Formats: sequence, structure tokens, C-alpha cells
Amino acid sequence: MKMTIHEVARCLNLHVSTIERWIRQGKIPIQKTGNGYLFGESALKKWAAMYRLPFLIPEKVKSLGYEEKPENLLSAMKRGGVLHDLKGDDVETALKFAVENMPVLSKTSKKELYQLLLERERLTSTGIGKGVAIPHPRDPLSDALKSPVISTCFLEKPIDFGAVDDRPVFVMFILLSQSIKIHLHLLSRFSFCVRDNSFVEFLKTSPDEAAFFAKIADFEKQLDRADT
Amino acid sequence: MRIFQSWRYPANWTIFRLDDRLLLILVAIIVGSCSGLASVVLNRLLMVMFNWFHDLRHYWWIFVLPAIGAALSSLFLEKVVKEGAGHGVPEVIYSVSRYGGLLRFRSSFSRLISSALTIGSGGSAGPEAPVVISGAAIGSNIAKYFSLNDRQRITLVGCGAAGAISSIFNAPIAGMVFAIEVIIGEWKSVNIVPIAIASVAGTEISRILQGNQIPFSHRLFNISHMDILACVGLAVLTAAASILLTRLLRFMDKISKKLPAPLWIRAAIGGCAVGLIGLFLPEVLGKGYHEVQTMIEGAFSQGLAIVGLVTIAKIVATALTLGWGGSGGIFAPCLVIGCLAGLTYHHCLALLWPSVSWVNEGCFALLGMAGLISGMLQAPLTGIFLIVEITGGYEVILPLIIVSAISTTLCHYIEPAAYYMKELVEYGHLLRPGTDARVLSDLNVSELIEKDCIAVTQNMLLRDFISIVKKSHRNYFPVEDEETGHFMGIIHLDDIRQYLFNPVMYDTVFLGQIMNTRVEVVDPDDDLADVIRKMDANRLFSMPVVINNRFIGLISKGNLLDQYRRELMVQTSQSV
Repeated sequence: MKMTIHEVARCLNLHVSTIERWIRQGKIPIQKTGNGYLFGESALKKWAAMYRLPFLIPEKVKSLGYEEKPENLLSAMKRGGVLHDLKGDDVETALKFAVENMPVLSKTSKKELYQLLLERERLTSTGIGKGVAIPHPRDPLSDALKSPVISTCFLEKPIDFGAVDDRPVFVMFILLSQSIKIHLHLLSRFSFCVRDNSFVEFLKTSPDEAAFFAKIADFEKQLDRADT
Repeated sequence: MRIFQSWRYPANWTIFRLDDRLLLILVAIIVGSCSGLASVVLNRLLMVMFNWFHDLRHYWWIFVLPAIGAALSSLFLEKVVKEGAGHGVPEVIYSVSRYGGLLRFRSSFSRLISSALTIGSGGSAGPEAPVVISGAAIGSNIAKYFSLNDRQRITLVGCGAAGAISSIFNAPIAGMVFAIEVIIGEWKSVNIVPIAIASVAGTEISRILQGNQIPFSHRLFNISHMDILACVGLAVLTAAASILLTRLLRFMDKISKKLPAPLWIRAAIGGCAVGLIGLFLPEVLGKGYHEVQTMIEGAFSQGLAIVGLVTIAKIVATALTLGWGGSGGIFAPCLVIGCLAGLTYHHCLALLWPSVSWVNEGCFALLGMAGLISGMLQAPLTGIFLIVEITGGYEVILPLIIVSAISTTLCHYIEPAAYYMKELVEYGHLLRPGTDARVLSDLNVSELIEKDCIAVTQNMLLRDFISIVKKSHRNYFPVEDEETGHFMGIIHLDDIRQYLFNPVMYDTVFLGQIMNTRVEVVDPDDDLADVIRKMDANRLFSMPVVINNRFIGLISKGNLLDQYRRELMVQTSQSV
């Protein structure tokens, strides 16, 4: 493979002018010829190892910096489904019914998830106010999900969730994600929606799936516009 | 055809590309031979001039001869070749540490001519420093001719210096040690091997042209334990003499600089004074090797008072010659002064303890030379090896080491910088490899600039700024003028953190109100040591780099540490 000294500089994570100076000073095994530079990649690697300098090929550098593609709310919500008129008199039973009715997850993971959700509720309530709760496990599930899931559960009757504003909760969004980073990302997008009072009023009408997703899609558009 | 074209670029040949040691050795032979030749030329020149003027010695007006010589040499240096006065060794050391050993071609002969004029006419100076700079310049220019890189060129500059010293003293080890200890300051095998080869080449050239003779041969000395003990006293005396010489040189330099006269007149005044001393004490004139030989043989039959007087006179004459602008080195005067000091010491001992049978006075003269060379150069190894080789006296090695070691140490106490390094240390130009100063001088600001800053404008609202903060990776935001793009100031997140969480201020505060306009800025051409000094003085972590009022990037201590460490690793690793 042919390399340029710009690539060499990237491999060594150094400024090109540093490499040029090193060549001039004879600190690096690269020779300058009339119209270019002369060096062997393996000799260069050997040299870097001798001086304990990190030498990473650009492809590797790229994959290290590669970011997980951020998910958006809508796809996660579609995956999690919308449940209406969920039964339950208190937090435990509501969560139990919700988890049982979730369209994804195996039986054993549902059990695990239920335990994790209760554990999380014991720490502090996930009722974020205005009658909305977002139960979620503190750490990702043991059988890692491939993509995040948000299950929307409209309750039959509002229940006391111990929320921050003490208002009874009428809707829960169970939020599952494979990594903390995605969790935070979705949480911040979701909180943007909930901040809007008209959205909360809209939720109170217990809308059907299509209308709900349309509304979410609307918000997503707003968020994407704000980001760029 | 390509072979013919590529012969000037031997570093690109496949066999030398991966390992240049063989190439360096081959070029070192050429450099060593050339610089050896240069020193033979100077030696011959001095001999010819000595013979010319020898017959004139008995005329009374002879005292103006050193003045004419010094003035001519000064005029030649200043007007013809346009080089600085002085012996030039600091110039070589500085060039090695700062410019990769780049030296002008004319340096390879200018000092030869000027020092021949000074010394040949009777000035008290030595031919060694001039041949060192000639040899170094030859090495540097040969390296340039073959398009070698800085490291290789530095080695070849060392080779030139080594070849010159080896040739002029017929002392290969001293040449090698001098080049490494004084000129390069780095004991690495990549340097040592080519320099050793160059020493051999230089010595061989001098032996072919001038015959293989030990410059100051002597009889065998019988050294007793008492003599070794007495050496300590001699070391103290030689240290005192070195310090006197150093101080006097600097003093003369200061006086002559105060004189409102052109350089050549100053040199003439100095030369005139030397000539006057020489009228009464002819021993002080010239490089004085003849006197050294007499003293080592023990044939210098003067009493204590005269010897003591000559010692002082020689020190003064050397200071007058070199301090007032004559051209020449310190080596030969050191040898003479050392000899005289040794002799004085011997006479004192004989006077105080007449019953003890001291070793021959020649032995003390020899040890005195070692003491003075070590003290002046603060290079003990050079002193030891030089004296052993130029006298062929290995049996004196034990007292020699003692005198050298003690003299170097004492001088270091009183004058922390050696004679050659003094100017460099004063200006902060002594940049030995692997030191902080060297690493900082090698790095430059433009290599450290980080450019991933997001620029903002002064009329931006805090609300808009917050969305920029969300996207940025840095805590610093340069503020630029909307129209001209000029750098106005900088916003550091730490300064405005409290406002960030106050929504009331989002639409009421403009960035122009919260930016810091009194920031120290850096120019890419600034010296990095100065930049760091500024950072430390103001307790800054980052500073903006600005050219022509435009923000270029940021320089931060974090990135600096990263680069500094790599530079240090590449510079100091022992494996190459």
C-alpha cells in the first residue's frame, strides 16, 4: 500500500509539519527526494514501535471514532407498540400488566425487566410530572436489545406513582435501550415533547396509534430542525 | 544514467536508506581527511610566518607586529568575510543545537586566515579553535552537498571538529572526546563511531604530511605517592589560574566594547599591548609550543619569581589578544599557562620542602596543562586524553585524572559555565539534546495549533450561543467581528458557566458583553519557551493563536504535553 506523509501524520496522530521537521532532522526513517518522500511502511512501523509511538492505520482510527447512529423516538415507539386501557391499581400491578403485554421480549427477559423496573422505582419514582411516567431499568437488560424500544401504555385509570408533582400518572412510557448513551439521547428527545403542555393534553385523550405516531413524527421534525 | 544523477543523494540509495551508519562512516573519512588537511595548512602557515618574523625579533619596533596582525585579522573577519570576531566554537555549538549544524562555507577558511595573522604575528592565542570551526564547517558543507539530514549533518560537524583536533595535536582520542564532550554533548554510538573514524582519518593525514611525532615528548617520570598528594595543590592552583584567565578575558572584552573605536583599532590596541609585554618576556608571544616543550623537558631554567611573572604575563597577554578582538583559540595558551603554573608550583614545593625528592618539574608542567584545559573547558575527559596523547605519558595518568577532576570541579563551583558555553548560557542558547530547552526549541507553535474551535460573533445572543456549546468539543470560543473577521476576544466556558443556567439572560445578553477581550495571544512564529512562560505567569491553560488579527486556532497545555512527550521520546531514545 502506498502512503503519503499526510497519512503517516494521521497514523501517528501528529501534525504534518512535525513529520516534515522530523524528516529534516533525521528523526524518522523517511528520506526526502527531489519530488517526494521515500519510505517503507514496515520500517516505519518498526521505528514507531522502537520509540513506543502509537501507530494506527487510518481505517482503525476511523472505526474508533465511528459513532452509533442515533435512534429516534418514532421507530422505538413503533417497535414498543401502544397499549390502551391498561389495568392496575398501583405501580406494581400497572408495571406487571404493562410488561406482560409488551409486544417484544421473551418470557424470561420480561421477568427480569419487571424486577429491574421495580428496583428502579424504589430508588426514585420515574413519574416526571404532568401525569407522565417513564419506567426504565437503571442498567441495560442482560440480553442486549439490538435497538431501543419504547412501549406506550395508557392506563385505565390514573394511579398514584409518587411522581415529583404528586399528580396521578395516566400514561407510562417504558423505555428500554441497549446503552446508556442511547437511553440519554431518547430521554432528552422525549422530555422535549413532554415539556409541551398541549402534547400532555393530547395524551390525556388516549389517542389511537396512528394519531399518536403522527404527533410524535411532528415533534421529531422540530427536534431535527433545532439540531441542525 | 540514473546512477550518475543519484550519486549526490547517497542517503536515498537502498543500502543506506534503512541504516545510514555505513554511509556516515564513509563520509566521515572524507570529512576527517579534509579537516585534517585544513589544520596541516594552518600549521604550515604559522611555521612560515614564524620563520619570517623570527629574524626581526631583535628590533625595538617589533612590538607593533602583533598589533598589525590583530588589526589585519579583525579587518579581514569584519570586512572581507563578514564573520563575528572570537574563536567561533560557541557558534558551532549553537548551530549544532539549533540549526542542525548548518554552517557557512566561508567559515571553513575564514578563521584559518585570521588566526594565522593573529598568531603568526605574535598574538597570544591558539590555532585549535580556528581549525575546529574550519573542520566543523567543512563537515557541515559536505553534508549539505550530499543532501543529508540534520542528524547526519550534526554527526559530520562533530567529525570535522574531531578530525581537526586529532590532526593538529596528532591525538585521535582527544579529538574524538573533544567533539563528543564539547561540540555534540551526546554520547551515542551513532555519533561516536563516525567521529572515531574521522579522528583516525585526520590523524593519518597529519602523519603522512608532517610525520608521526608526539608534540611534547618527555623523559620517563618516576611518580611517588607524595607527588600524587601534591597534585591536589596543583589542581587548586590551575583552577585559580583558569578562573583568573576567564575573568580577565571577560573583563578585557567589556573594556574594549566600551571603547568608541572600530573593531580593528581595538584589536590593534590589544596586539600592541601584547607586543610590549613580549619585548620583555618573549615567552608570552605566539602559540608557545616551543616553550611548552622546553618546560616539559625540564630545561626551562628560570627561578620562581620569573616563572610566576611569566605565568601572570601569559594570562594577561592571552586576555589582551582574545578579549580585544584578536582571532584565535584558547587551547594553546591554556597549555602554556598550565605548564607555567605547574612549574611555579614545583618551584614553590621545592622551596617549602627542599628535603623531599619531588618528581621532575616537567611532570608538574604536564599536569598543569591538564588542569588548565579541564578547568577552562570544563571537559575533564578532553583534558585527560589530550595531555596523555600529546605527551605520550601514560605513566602520569593517575595524577592526571586527579588534577583534571579537581580542577574541573573547582572551576565549576566558581564559574558554572565553561569558557566555550558562557556566551551561549548567557543568551539561553545552550540547548543540549534531551533537555527541556532543546525540546521546546525544536517544537514550534504551528505544530501545536488545535483548529476545532467554533467561532462566534459578538452580536450573537446567549441563547444562540448555548446551542453552539451543545455541539462543540471545547471550552473556548473565539469571538470574531462579523464583517472583518478580526479576532475580538475569547469566551471561556468557566467564565460564563453561571449565566448558562439562567434562562432570563438568554435573550438579554450579547456575547460581546461577556467575552474576554484582554487575552494574551500567540503568534505562530513565537518562541515556544516564551509562550509557556506567558501561560505560566498568567495561569492559562490555553491561548489563542492569532495572525494579522485573525484567529487561527488554540494552543493548549494538554496538546503540548502530548507533543512534548513524543518529541522527548524521539530525541532521547538510546536505541538509535
